[in-house]
Order: sequence, then C-alpha cells, then structure tokens
Amino acid sequence: MADVLDEISSSIGGLRGAEEVRHLVNAALSQGIPVPDIVDKGLRSGLQQVGAKYEGGEYFLAELLFAASIVDETMQILRPRIEGQAILKKGRILLGTVRGDMHDIGKNIFRMIADAAGFPVEDLGVDVEPEVFLEQSKLTKPHIVGLSCLLTTALSEIGVVVGEFEKSGTRNNVRILVGGNAVTKEFGQQVGADEAALNAVEGVDYCRGAIKE
Amino acid sequence: MTPRERIKNAMHFKKVDAIPWVELFYEETTLKWFQQGLPADKITVVDWMMNDGYGSFILNWPIVKGFDVNSYFGCGNLGTCPVPVDVGPIPRFKQRKIGEDSKYQEYIMETGARAKRFKSGEYIWYAMPMYTQFPVQDKKSWEEYKKRLDPEDRRRYPKDWEKDAYLKIFEEHQDGNTLISTTGFYGFGAQLMGIVNFNLALYRDPGLIQDMVEYWEYFTIETLRDAVETLKDHIDLVFWWEDLAEKHGPNISPKLYKEYLLPHYKEVTGFFKRNKIDRIMMDSDGNTEPILDLVIEAGITGHWPLEVNAGMDVRTLSKRYGNKLFLAGNLDKREIAKGGEPMRKEIDSKLLVMKETGGYIAGLDHLVPVELTLERFKEYATYLKERLVVE
Repeated sequence: MADVLDEISSSIGGLRGAEEVRHLVNAALSQGIPVPDIVDKGLRSGLQQVGAKYEGGEYFLAELLFAASIVDETMQILRPRIEGQAILKKGRILLGTVRGDMHDIGKNIFRMIADAAGFPVEDLGVDVEPEVFLEQSKLTKPHIVGLSCLLTTALSEIGVVVGEFEKSGTRNNVRILVGGNAVTKEFGQQVGADEAALNAVEGVDYCRGAIKE
Repeated sequence: MTPRERIKNAMHFKKVDAIPWVELFYEETTLKWFQQGLPADKITVVDWMMNDGYGSFILNWPIVKGFDVNSYFGCGNLGTCPVPVDVGPIPRFKQRKIGEDSKYQEYIMETGARAKRFKSGEYIWYAMPMYTQFPVQDKKSWEEYKKRLDPEDRRRYPKDWEKDAYLKIFEEHQDGNTLISTTGFYGFGAQLMGIVNFNLALYRDPGLIQDMVEYWEYFTIETLRDAVETLKDHIDLVFWWEDLAEKHGPNISPKLYKEYLLPHYKEVTGFFKRNKIDRIMMDSDGNTEPILDLVIEAGITGHWPLEVNAGMDVRTLSKRYGNKLFLAGNLDKREIAKGGEPMRKEIDSKLLVMKETGGYIAGLDHLVPVELTLERFKEYATYLKERLVVE
C-alpha cells in the first residue's frame, strides 16, 4: 500500500505528469486503498514535496502551478468518491484582495495551491470592502482570513480590515494571513496580522500549521 | 562629458566623470506633482506638428506631446531618441469599453486582452487593470494572433521611414541616447496568455510554446532588421522588456529558461551583436538572481531596475558578475521616500561601492512611484546629484 502512495507522491514531486499520476491513482484504487489515504499520503504529500522544492529554490512558479494543476485534475476524479468526508475539510480560508487593489494573480496562485492542499477557499475576489470580509466571516466562520495586496497605494487597507475585526470583537476567532508583493514581515507585524507570507507556498504552510494548532 | 557619453561609458564599464542618473516616471506621478507645485509650464512639451484632430490638414499646429520631467530635475533618459519601430499587434485591437457598472469599466485592450478597471479614483492606470481574458489560449487562437504579428507589415515603421533620410537625421541631430525596444519571450507569452496560463503551458503544451518562441525569434529579428541595420552606428542600447520574476524568484525556472528561451535569445542577441549593438538591458522586476547566469549566457548585458524589496543588490551583483552585466537602478524607493538620513544612507552605501566598480547607472529601483512626494523627490535629486561626481 505504502509503495503506490509513495509513487504518487514522488510522481507529483518529480513533475512526471498528470497521466502517470492518474495511472498510479487507479492502481491505488484497484488495490482497495481508501481514497482519503490516496489524497493525503499521495497527492498532498507530493504537493508538499513541490512546495519544499519551491522554497529551496529548485522549483519556481511554473513548477508550482503545474503540480497544483495535476492535483486539481486528479481530485476531479476522486471528489465524487469522497464528497462530505473529513478529508475535504482541512480548514476553511476566506480570501480576497483588499479595497483599492484589483490585482488577482498572486491571490489566484495562492488559491490554487491552497485548494490543491485541501483547504476549501472562499474567494471574495478583488477590491473587497473591509466590511465584506467581516460580514462574510461572520456568516461562514473561516479559520483563516487571507488578505492580498500588491499596490503600495492600497496597503493601508489591510490595517483597516484588521481594525474591523478588532472593533467587532471577532479578531480572536480567525487567523489573519496577509500576502502580496507590497507586503513584508515587518508590515504584517505592524498591522497586527498573524502572519505575513512572502509567497503562496509560505502562506499554505502557515495554514497547515495554524489548523493543526 | 555629454549625458550620452556618460551613459554609454557607464554601460561599457569605461571611465565616467560622474555616475549617470536615469529615472523613468509614471505619468500619474507627474500629474500628482502638479498638484504639489511642479510648474507645468516648465515641463510640458509642445511641438508644432500637422494637426490631425479632425482628419489631417496641411497646417502646422501646436500639440502637447507630453512632459519632460527628466530635464527639469537634471536626470537622464535612456531613450531620448528612440527608434520608432512598432513591435505590437497590427492592426491593433481597437481599445473600447465593453461594459460598466457603478464602480468598474471593462475594456478590450490594444493587445486584445479584456480588462476591468476602476471607473474613477485617485489613481486609475497606476492601479493597473485586472485582466479577465487573454487573446491566446491555445494553438488555434495563437495561429489567429500571429496574423497580427507580420514583420513585413509596413505600418511597423513611421509613415516617413526612408533609410537614408533617417540616417541623415540621426547623424545631424542625435543629441541623446538612442534605444530600440523589444519584448523578451517571457514577457511576450505572459502578455498574450496571462502569467498563470503561460506558465502552465510551459509544461502542458510544449508544442505551442515551441511554436511561439520560434515565431517570436523570427518576428523580433525581421521586424527590427531594417532599423537595426540602418541605424546600427547610432543605437546605444536595446531595452529588452521582460518582467519574468517576482519577489520569491523568477517565474520561469533555470531548466525551462535553458530549454525554451536560451537558444532563441542567443539568436536575437547575436543579430544585435552582428550589428555592433552589444548593450542589451533586461527590464524585469522581482528577484532574477537564480537565472542571471543564463541571462548573461543568452547575450543580455545589462539589468534594470533591481528591486530591493525582492532582495536585489547592486553591490552583490557587481561583485559576482563584474563587467559581464551593467546595472541600473536599485536605490530603494521606500528608503528614498523617507527622506533625511535613511535616504542619504541608501544613496551613499551604494554609490560608494559602485563608483569603484563602474558599470552603474543610478536611479530608483522602479519607475518613480506616486507615493513619492515632489518635496521628497527634490530632496533626493539634490542630494544624489551632489554625490554622483567621480573624483
């Protein structure tokens, strides 16, 4: 059992292509391996390998996106078999680009990686008003609120959103993760975010850690 | 030394009497500075041209061509005399509004992409639009797009393009740096397909990428051939727009760069070099360090703007690459915006080293941003100019 799961993981980690992963997943299914194991110990473990290689400077954006797309494609096949099982519910993320900023590339890359890593992501889009983050958070109760910002002219909006959560007394109910080209670690601390991620992989790693706690 | 000689010498690692200083300005920065007291009458450029406002008349008419903010502050411009070749899609997609609501407008852009932008606000174009669709998605749409990238289309050159006449004008009137602009293949692909789809296609559709990069090479060389061969003695620099990196590193891995870009880049840079143009400057934000060895192998000889926020540092790069790569920019706009001691420290710490190494053109680590006030920019300009002189 472990062999085929390791092979799935290393096939994704080695970017050997969607066809090989599909073949290995079918082999795992025919061996009777439970789907949650295939997802966690195969697909997502492979994606973590890719993330580690990205952090280590061996892989870059193209590799990251390709791996996430393989996982996503494979999940389309597996999803009907596991609908409603705990494996799909790692912890929810509410995501958006802050008011005054219409950039969506970084946000969308994070969403792809987070989704492939098993986090259901509710994406509010771009140029999101601070109160929309708060209202939606009250409704859907995410574990993590992700705020993206590329423009330095819109950076202060991150502080406004954090302030909204504080004023409403719900700040401690969520973890606030900030990211985007304009964001630095120091800035994250200044505005009272729980974490400032400098790239998508770092952001997803933070989510993994935060959900475990 | 003239400003042109100073910039040329710096790009060639030759002696300079002062480090050249070059900035590029967002037009919205200039407009904001008007509100802060920049005298519009001092920098607005009006030229007598044939008025084509209602069709064309045989009538010379004063036309506002733009703003010469560089001269006002005494900073240089890499392209005082640009070579006017059009490397965009022809015919252009007609830019037009295709929808709007209370807050946004949606446009077809000149490249054929669809984009949404703010309807109003303090900054509209500086905030950059959100692209919602790109013109190339697959082989079929690429084949269609190619029809607009015909290097033989006469509209790529000015209406009055005539080799001998242009050569004579350059010989008699060239008073500043001449650059010719082109688009690197990563920039080309990302503009046509979007960053995410283009990066995915590098793995998922190698046949499409191969065809695109081969066509890009042919299109670039053949479009520029006439201008390059005619004006080769006057062109100081190729401005190679690319934007292939972000803060974490390059979007494209060294492996993919080597596989797809390197062989074709060597052909294009080889074409320039056969025509005695060997100063080729890559414009890319972000952290490009992991691919810089390959960039140099590809024939690129300069790099701007060296974004500090992405970890780029002229002092480290000049030590590593010596005279293989001239460097431009890298003064941290965030430190400069603080003014006073942080600004002075940023300038002094870099100029001290770069005066020794040579091969450096001073400037901010990107276009001058709207957040930098006129007052702070004046303070920066005054201090920097005092420090540029090489003893």
